[in-house]
Amino acid sequence: MRFFRQLVLAIAALAVVVAYSPQVSAQSGKPIKIGFSMALTGVLGAGGKSALIAMEIWRDDVNKKGGLLGRPVELVYYDDATTPAKVPAIYTKLLNVDKVDLVVSSYGTDVIAPAMPIVMRSGKVFLGLFGLDVNHKFKYDRYFQIMPAGPNPAQDWSRGFFDIAKEKGLKSVAIAGADAEFAQNAVKGARANAKQDKLNIVYDKSFPPSTADFTPILRAIQATNPDIIYFGSYPANSVGIVKAANELGLKAKLVGGGMVGLQFAAIMKNLGPGLNNLVNYDFWVPAKTLKFPGIEEFLKKYQAAAAGKGVDLLGHYLPPWAYAYMQVLGQSVEATKSLDDKKLAEYIHKTTFNTVVGPVKFGKNGEWATSRALMIQFRGIKANNLDQFKMEGTRVVLKPDTVKSGDIMFPYKK
Amino acid sequence: MMKISGFWIGIVLMLAAGFVLAGVADNQFLFFAGYVILQGLIMAVAWNVLGGFTGYVNFGSAGFFAIGAYTAIALHQFAELPLLVLIVIAGIVCGLIGLGTGYLTLRLRGVYFAIATLAMAIVFESLITNWDYVGGSAGAYVITPAEVPFFDSFIEMMFILMLVLSLICVAVSRYLSMSRMGRGLASIRDDETAAECMGVPTLRLKLISTTVMGVMMGVAGAPFPFFVTYINPLSAFDLLIAVNAIAMPMIGGTAVWFGPVIGALLLGTIQQIVTVTISSELNILIVGVVLIAFVALAPRGIVGLFQDFARKRREGGK
Repeated sequence: MRFFRQLVLAIAALAVVVAYSPQVSAQSGKPIKIGFSMALTGVLGAGGKSALIAMEIWRDDVNKKGGLLGRPVELVYYDDATTPAKVPAIYTKLLNVDKVDLVVSSYGTDVIAPAMPIVMRSGKVFLGLFGLDVNHKFKYDRYFQIMPAGPNPAQDWSRGFFDIAKEKGLKSVAIAGADAEFAQNAVKGARANAKQDKLNIVYDKSFPPSTADFTPILRAIQATNPDIIYFGSYPANSVGIVKAANELGLKAKLVGGGMVGLQFAAIMKNLGPGLNNLVNYDFWVPAKTLKFPGIEEFLKKYQAAAAGKGVDLLGHYLPPWAYAYMQVLGQSVEATKSLDDKKLAEYIHKTTFNTVVGPVKFGKNGEWATSRALMIQFRGIKANNLDQFKMEGTRVVLKPDTVKSGDIMFPYKK
Repeated sequence: MMKISGFWIGIVLMLAAGFVLAGVADNQFLFFAGYVILQGLIMAVAWNVLGGFTGYVNFGSAGFFAIGAYTAIALHQFAELPLLVLIVIAGIVCGLIGLGTGYLTLRLRGVYFAIATLAMAIVFESLITNWDYVGGSAGAYVITPAEVPFFDSFIEMMFILMLVLSLICVAVSRYLSMSRMGRGLASIRDDETAAECMGVPTLRLKLISTTVMGVMMGVAGAPFPFFVTYINPLSAFDLLIAVNAIAMPMIGGTAVWFGPVIGALLLGTIQQIVTVTISSELNILIVGVVLIAFVALAPRGIVGLFQDFARKRREGGK
C-alpha cells in the first residue's frame, strides 16, 4: 500500500515537471508578476473579458520569446465586477499579499480612479486602460493611459468631428448626452469645441442612460433644425439613436460624435445599413493608414481566442489597446533591464513605443502627447454581415489628417 | 458595586482587538476588507431598525447611504472639513431626510411603503446626477492624505473609525431593541392597529425609527468617498448596496439586535473572500442564493435557527 502511494506521488510529480517543462526550459527564475483588477463582470464585463484575452495573448507571446529579463511573466488578476468599491482592496491585496512586481489598470474610468491612491502610495508605475482624464486630479507622474484621447482628453476626443463641421461651413449644433460619466465628459468637450468654433448651440440636453427609445428626443432636436447633431451615448442608447435617426430621416448634415457601442461587432452587425454615413469616434479600424506592425497577427490570435467566449468577435475596439499597454510595460522593462518604478517611469516619459496600435508617445500628464482619436464614417454597409467590417472601406478614417483614409460622404442623408 | 454587562465588555474587547490589529498587522488588505465588512454591518443594523424591529421593509437604503456620501462630498468641496465633522453632518442630514420620508410615507404599509422608499432613492439619484457641484453624472474625486497622525496609514484610520461607528450603531440598536421603545416597535411590527388601540404612539415611534435608520445609513455613507476616492451616482446608488443591507439582517435574523451583526459579519466576510478567490460576480449569486435559502428554509435567520435548536433540545431533555 505504502509503495503504491509513493509510486502515485512519483508519477504525479513527474507529470507536473513534464507539463511545465516547455516554459521553464525557455526561462528561469521567479516569474515577474503583473497584477491588476479587471472588469470581467458587471456593466463593462464584456469589454473587460476581451481585454483580458488580449493581455493573455501578450503574456503568451512574451513567454514564448523567453519572458522579460529572462523570467516568465505571470498575470495575477481579480474581477472587480466594474464596482469601484472593490478596487482599493484588490490593489492592496495585489501589492501587499500577492507581492506583484508591476501593476496595470482595469478597464474604464470608474475602476481606474479608485486604484490611484493605492498605487501612488506604493510608487508603482501605473498603465491605464481607457480612463478618461483620470490623472487631472491626482497628477501622478507615473501614470500613463493608453487610449489616444490626447493631452486634453474631453475636448480632443471630439475635435476631429468639429474640424469636419468647420471645413463644411456648418453653423448650428445640437448636443445630447447620457447622464453618466463618459457621456457627460464627451458632451462637455463637444460644448467647448462648439463654443471655440463659434457654433450656434440650438439644443443641449441630457437623457437618462437607460433611454432606449429616442424618437421623442430626435423629434425635439429635429424641430431646432441643426446642421450638426453630436451624441454622447452608451451602447443601448447608440442603438436606439441610430434606429430612430433612420426612421425619422434626420435632416442634419453631420450626425454622430461620441457614440459608444458603434465600435462593437455585434452592434455593427445588428444595425447594418442604418449606420451608413454616420460619423463617429473610433480608435482603430482596418485602413491602410492604420496597418501597424503586428496588428493583423494580433487580431488573428484574438479572433481565434474570442470565438465562443461571448466577447467582441472582431476585437477592433479595446483588445489592441489592452495588448499595447502591456507592450509599453514590457518594452520598458526590457529597455531599462529593471523593475524599478522610477527608472520605468522616466523611460516611459521619454520614449516613443512601437506597438500594435502604432507609435505611442505619452505627454506630461500621462495621456497621449497628441490625440489620435479617430473620426470614422460608416460607408456601404450591408445587412447582417460581420465579415464586411474586417475589410477596408466600410469605416473610412476622416480625421486626424495624419491617418486619413478617405473623404467624407456629405451630407448625412441625401 | 456597579454591574457591567457582558455586552459592554464585548464592545470594549472588540475595540481593543481593532486597535491591536491596527498596531500589529502589516497586511493593509485586512483593513480594506474589514472596512467593507464594517460598512455593511452599519447598513445592516440601520436597515434592521426600520425593517426588522418595526416591520417596515425599506428598499431605499442605497439612497440614504448615497446621500450620506454626497453630503460629505458637498461639504468637502465647500470647505475641507475634518472627516469626523462630515460624518456628523451627514448623519444629521440623513436623519432629517429619514424623518421627512417617514412623514410622507409611513401612512403606506407593506409593499407600498417598500416601493415608496425605492422611488425615493431614484428621486435622489436624479437630483445628484444633475447637481454639478458634487460632480454630477461625471463623478467626483477625493484626494486622501498620504499620512495621518497616530496611524500608519489612511486606511488603518478609516478601519478604526468604521469600527467605532459600527460599535456605536450596534449599541444604539441594542438599546432600541431592549428598551420600552423597542417593545413599542415590536408591537407595530406584529399588529399596528392593535398597537395603536393599546395606546402605543405608533407614528412617533415610526418616525424615530426612520430617523435612526437615516442617521446610521448617512454615517455609513459619509466616509465612503474617502475610501474609494472617486464616486459617481451609479456606484453610490448601486442597487447591490441596498440588496446587501437587506440580505445581511435577513440571514442573521431580524427580530433581535445581534441578528444583523451576525449576518453582516458572515456574508461580508464570505463576499470578501470570494472576491479574491473565485469571482466578484459570484458575490451577487451568493447573496441571492443564500437569501432565497434563508427566506424559504429559515425565515427567522441564523438566530432563529439557533433558537429553534435550543428549544428542541430543552423540550427533548424534559
